[in-house]
Amino acid sequence: MTDDKDVLRDVWFGRIPTCFTLYQDEITEREAEPYYLLLPRISYLTLVTDKVKKHFQKVMRQEEVSEIWFEYEGTPLKWHYPIGLLFDLHASNTALPWSITVHFKNFPEKDLLHCHSKDVIEAHFMACIKEADALKHKSQVINEMQKKDHKQLWMGLQNDKFEQFWAINRKLMEYPPEDSGFRFIPFRIYQATTERPFIQKLFRPVDSGGQLHTLGDLLKDMCPSAITPEDGEKKTQVMIHGIEPMLETPLQWLSEHMSYPDNFLHISIIPRPTD
Amino acid sequence: MSFSMAGEEDFFLEEKKFKQYCEEFVKHSQKIRDGWEWRTSKDFADGYLSKTHFQITNRNVPPDLKEKNNDNVEQTLFMHVEESLDDSQVDGVCATAEVIRYEYHVLYSSSYQVPVLYFRACFLDGRALTLDEIWKSVHACYQARLLEGPWDTITQQEHPLLGQPFFVLHPCRTNEFMSAVLASSRKENRQTNYIASWLSIVGPVVGLNLSLSYAKLASEQSTDADVT
Repeated sequence: MTDDKDVLRDVWFGRIPTCFTLYQDEITEREAEPYYLLLPRISYLTLVTDKVKKHFQKVMRQEEVSEIWFEYEGTPLKWHYPIGLLFDLHASNTALPWSITVHFKNFPEKDLLHCHSKDVIEAHFMACIKEADALKHKSQVINEMQKKDHKQLWMGLQNDKFEQFWAINRKLMEYPPEDSGFRFIPFRIYQATTERPFIQKLFRPVDSGGQLHTLGDLLKDMCPSAITPEDGEKKTQVMIHGIEPMLETPLQWLSEHMSYPDNFLHISIIPRPTD
Repeated sequence: MSFSMAGEEDFFLEEKKFKQYCEEFVKHSQKIRDGWEWRTSKDFADGYLSKTHFQITNRNVPPDLKEKNNDNVEQTLFMHVEESLDDSQVDGVCATAEVIRYEYHVLYSSSYQVPVLYFRACFLDGRALTLDEIWKSVHACYQARLLEGPWDTITQQEHPLLGQPFFVLHPCRTNEFMSAVLASSRKENRQTNYIASWLSIVGPVVGLNLSLSYAKLASEQSTDADVT
């Protein structure tokens, strides 16, 4: 069991070295130096970039500063997706550090949700946790918890406190002894090339014969074209937290150990690098 | 009516049933021409109900308008807007009329097994309404309930099929109030269209009203359909 707990820690403490550069058309009073930061994979952009905002606001006039937003190679980055998911989906096979452009003007209303305060992030995070528990336990576990337990999950994430977070989250990872796992697995499969932002459907951790479903079973069901090689060559990679888990891995195990703090398995399907 | 029953109090809606109710709903909408249509995602795997309408808002609504019948509100508002513009020129008080384009989508949530109402609104020049402006546009009689009732919290979320920001009426309490509605119709052996019932409850909170003729929808079907 020690090995499994190590996985939880490895997932929690994953970091991505990032270089933030101010968009060239932003109006500054003097030149803006890039800002370097190690971003937690499990957190959200607007939760961990206060220092980035302060750094660039120092060289700008107050009236030129509106809501901050981030972009990678022309694509606005959705702050409500975990950072690790954004990186895996858009930049995982590029050279580090991850180069993100910072904007303070022309907020892309059609692409990004607004994030005027930390309360918005907390509301989004808790909504994801609640939805995950609706799938796993018909909301019974999350609804039985007190408000202070919900707060502890959020504070654990916000303050990067692994133990504080998992003291409560472990309850969301339990299931009745007579069952083989959760009711349904909370997951989302992302592909940057589709109009649909993600695939999310009901999927059980065990089949009708009681056999544990694997990651491969899930993918075969949800997006077969993405994993079955057309001409013998695999064109895509299946990535979670920057690694390619074996397709034989039981989905129940993945859900318990490699979910993000929002209790969802966020899975990226990306083009395999050709080199 | 088939629902997956977890207990006597649970009235969850299966996805297949959702699509059937939507189909009935759209057929009726076409009859009365109130603009609802069924749209599918590019891969045709999923679909949703959609309706766009324009609303004229006047912030300085005279008190007697609040009592008016919903069907006449838009026309009456428009008339009052013209009148008050003349008055305001005399009094020096500014009353502005704005046209807002509302787009409503009804999607199915597999996580909560209920329908969910998504919507967005913008002025004619394309400027999107802020969450604050959305709140203010909700009719006064719903404001108090909105503030206290978690089931009708409005937040901004990503549309699960289009990937664009929409406002959403939070679905996690839908089952609670739908149970009461459906339990009583079950007792009376009356068929209902889940979507019509649900939308008639949540819609008005965000400025979406349904013609009363939707209530006849299910009873028309039940004369021919098998009683489940």
